[in-house]
Amino acid sequence: MLNSQTAELVIDHALSLGADFAEIFIEKNETNVVSTLSNEVQSVESGINFGIGLRLVYGSKVLYGYTNKADQDELCRIATVLAAKDLRDPVSSTKFFNFNQPTDIHPARKILSIDAEIKSKVAYLMSADRAARAAGEKISQTRGSCMQREQRIEIFNSDGLHTNDGRNYIRANLMAIASDGTEQATGSWNDGGLLGWEIEAGINPEQTGEAAARQALVNLTAKPCPSGRMPVIIGNGFGGVIFHEACGHLLETTSVAKKASVFHDQMGEMIASSIVNAVDDGTMANEWGSINIDDEGMPTQRTQLIKDGQLTNFLVDRIGAQQTGFARSGSGRRESYKFAPASRMRNTFIEPGDAKLDDMIASIEKGIYASHMGGGSVQPGTGEFNFSVTEGYYIENGKIQYPVKAATLISTGPKVLKEISMIGQDFSLACGMCGSISGAVPTTVGQATLKVDDILVGGNA
Amino acid sequence: MSSFHSASNTNTALMAERVLDQVMSAGATGDLIVDEGETISLKACEGELEEYKVSSSRIFGLRVIKDGHIGTAYSEAVDADALKSLVGQALNNASFVKIESHENILPNSNQLKTDDNLLCPQEQVSIDQKIQMALEVESKLNAMDKVKNVPYNGVQDIFSQRHIFSTAGLNALTRSRMCASYAYALVEDGQKTAMQGTSQVSRLFSELNASSVIENTYEKCIGLLDGKPIPSKHYDVIFDTECQVSVFGVFSMMFSGKTAKDGINPMRNKIGSAIADSRLTIFDHPLNSDGFGYHLFDAEGTATEKSKLVIDGCLQTLIHNSATASYFDTHTTGHAIRGPKSTLGVNLHQVEIARGTEALSSLHSGEYLEVTDLAGLHSGANAISGDFSFGASGYLCKNGERIQAVRGITVAGNFYEMLNKISMIGNQQSWDEGRSALMPSIRFSDVAISG
Repeated sequence: MLNSQTAELVIDHALSLGADFAEIFIEKNETNVVSTLSNEVQSVESGINFGIGLRLVYGSKVLYGYTNKADQDELCRIATVLAAKDLRDPVSSTKFFNFNQPTDIHPARKILSIDAEIKSKVAYLMSADRAARAAGEKISQTRGSCMQREQRIEIFNSDGLHTNDGRNYIRANLMAIASDGTEQATGSWNDGGLLGWEIEAGINPEQTGEAAARQALVNLTAKPCPSGRMPVIIGNGFGGVIFHEACGHLLETTSVAKKASVFHDQMGEMIASSIVNAVDDGTMANEWGSINIDDEGMPTQRTQLIKDGQLTNFLVDRIGAQQTGFARSGSGRRESYKFAPASRMRNTFIEPGDAKLDDMIASIEKGIYASHMGGGSVQPGTGEFNFSVTEGYYIENGKIQYPVKAATLISTGPKVLKEISMIGQDFSLACGMCGSISGAVPTTVGQATLKVDDILVGGNA
Repeated sequence: MSSFHSASNTNTALMAERVLDQVMSAGATGDLIVDEGETISLKACEGELEEYKVSSSRIFGLRVIKDGHIGTAYSEAVDADALKSLVGQALNNASFVKIESHENILPNSNQLKTDDNLLCPQEQVSIDQKIQMALEVESKLNAMDKVKNVPYNGVQDIFSQRHIFSTAGLNALTRSRMCASYAYALVEDGQKTAMQGTSQVSRLFSELNASSVIENTYEKCIGLLDGKPIPSKHYDVIFDTECQVSVFGVFSMMFSGKTAKDGINPMRNKIGSAIADSRLTIFDHPLNSDGFGYHLFDAEGTATEKSKLVIDGCLQTLIHNSATASYFDTHTTGHAIRGPKSTLGVNLHQVEIARGTEALSSLHSGEYLEVTDLAGLHSGANAISGDFSFGASGYLCKNGERIQAVRGITVAGNFYEMLNKISMIGNQQSWDEGRSALMPSIRFSDVAISG
């Protein structure tokens, strides 16, 4: 996307201004989104994003600029503007570019640049709509979408790195709305991956529609949630958002280096219950949060974050490595050329255990089974987090009593990690978008169903 | 930035003309949004500049209507081939979409332009002054008692421009500038920690006040350091302006003509009905230039005006673009919204809640919970049903005095029911930090708090 000669001239120019390190990140991505409202196509949107990000590093200081223009003069102008306050004699010189084509460990076939497959996506969403409506008369509407993106990146840096990569994302979701005339409730289903529309073969539209409708119908009958401190069983798949929020963000060197994470000085210490093993893995074939290389050009890897409750690794990008001394983990990620990379999660999960859901429920006198979780947020400095329950049930005397609505779980990362007492066998992954300092990136969360002994449940009963 | 304006705008107008000529040649109508921006963003860490970011961006967003079918496409690449592809993509996308008889390009050939002196004032300010402010906020806060660090902070100077063209001849241009300073500090006292932040915005950098960002952030952090949960029960609650604006924002779809058309707005059949306490009056006031929600025209080029949304608790209207207005056989209210990457929608510009009658002394009488921080605003709310459950922090107060800092609680309920549980409305309005809405304090009764 940018010829090597131009890249070399721009990086040479940046180094002549005294930068310790210079990097050019070129990105072009095409996106297509098909949206349906019940049994009609609401919209088809498509577009091209293109831009170039230029990062200069002076000591621990990061200077970053971006533009939509790909010419040498514009890139040199940005470098000059960025370096204006830090001009000094050159301290390093560009190494000869050594092009490295990364191995594609996430191959995709039905990619956007070949065919957007709009008719096929519409047919899938229409089938899902029919299945949702067939699940109950109270399903009043569905909203579906299929998003497909093809991202091409190219990276040059002053260490002589020249590499490129292609990433193909696909995500489908369906929301069902149930109504009984006075109240409305929603249910949803979604799946995605780092692959093309061949994902269709593995996502049955009938199951999609039924899953979204089932949740909407359950929520329509849900009662206000009891509140207070109590044990909570958190469902598999997207239930892993608890670990993502409560722990994952606190292990990114973006927070660790600034001592803005409660775990910044706890490497090697027991930070979780001894039954907890947690991993962040970018290598999982065709998973939504996977990558071949990170956005700094480093091959991705599997990073064991917690082993038997002990903190074993942080998620480390280039600047994080420089600031903390820990080795890079191929975790430098960014939403687009508009962001400097930062340490970010990929596919992050708690490994499965051997407990059974029935035993977890039977062990609770009064508590909640949060079978499906929504989103949440965390304050890295204190570890305080919250996240919402999108499908939950009240448990009393070891038995599920009734569905509950509007429940939120509140705790702190360090506390909840130590309160995990049972982990099940039904491991699964779920995809989402994670927003942080370098924008919104695709990440997968995951776990088997697990029990936390004490969480504050917010409800309105 | 002035050279950027003139050179870029000539260029942009020529490219827009070429794009819309291609649209008309294909027998379609359309409009084109061109968003451009320049930003400087600075962050400090331990007395040194940590990040210095400069950017320039431009994106074209095209909407076409051909035989009743609507298609959109966008591009950040703006060479001739890319723009030709933009038109082709939009037309191709349109061919898959159902016929939408209510959505048309308005016969609006107005030449509109906002006042640069008002929205985009120029001043002599050097990059050194901006760096100095970033360093000052971070280092002074860092030096204060119990402050461990200031992990999130920054100074920004953002120039943005939107140009809308249509095949009907519309040429509407708006430019604005926003300068901002923000800081989030982490304070620590033994095992106790708290992280809070504040921000400030202005159209002029010289009007930003580093001292007030420092003082407000510090006060917020220290105030909550000793916070602990309170017993679970129903309390009277007053959200601070920041939180109150956020909560109303989360449920703003209740006014949307688009969600009403889609059948999911719970207020769709309640125009003319009482939906809130009879003392509640809500406007949308896009022409108040004191706020950053100022809009002279909407995304279809329709002139905006002050809209009466709720008067004395009674819903007056939903907000519309020309398509939702046509569907409901009414007039557009000038609330069309469209980004380069999105389809036509509706949105409020700048909410204003009318002041009530209660002086602070009565608003703050007896026991109540003052909520100063909410977490999980989007994940914890269902705008369709009105149910919400948020993490919260604040202060338990008695007769206007903060008697206990409160953390680790949740506030839950149903927003649409809460509008009928208003106990009092204050007689003073204030802006939120982002100057996006103007509201008085509202005291809600009987709100479920879990601690």
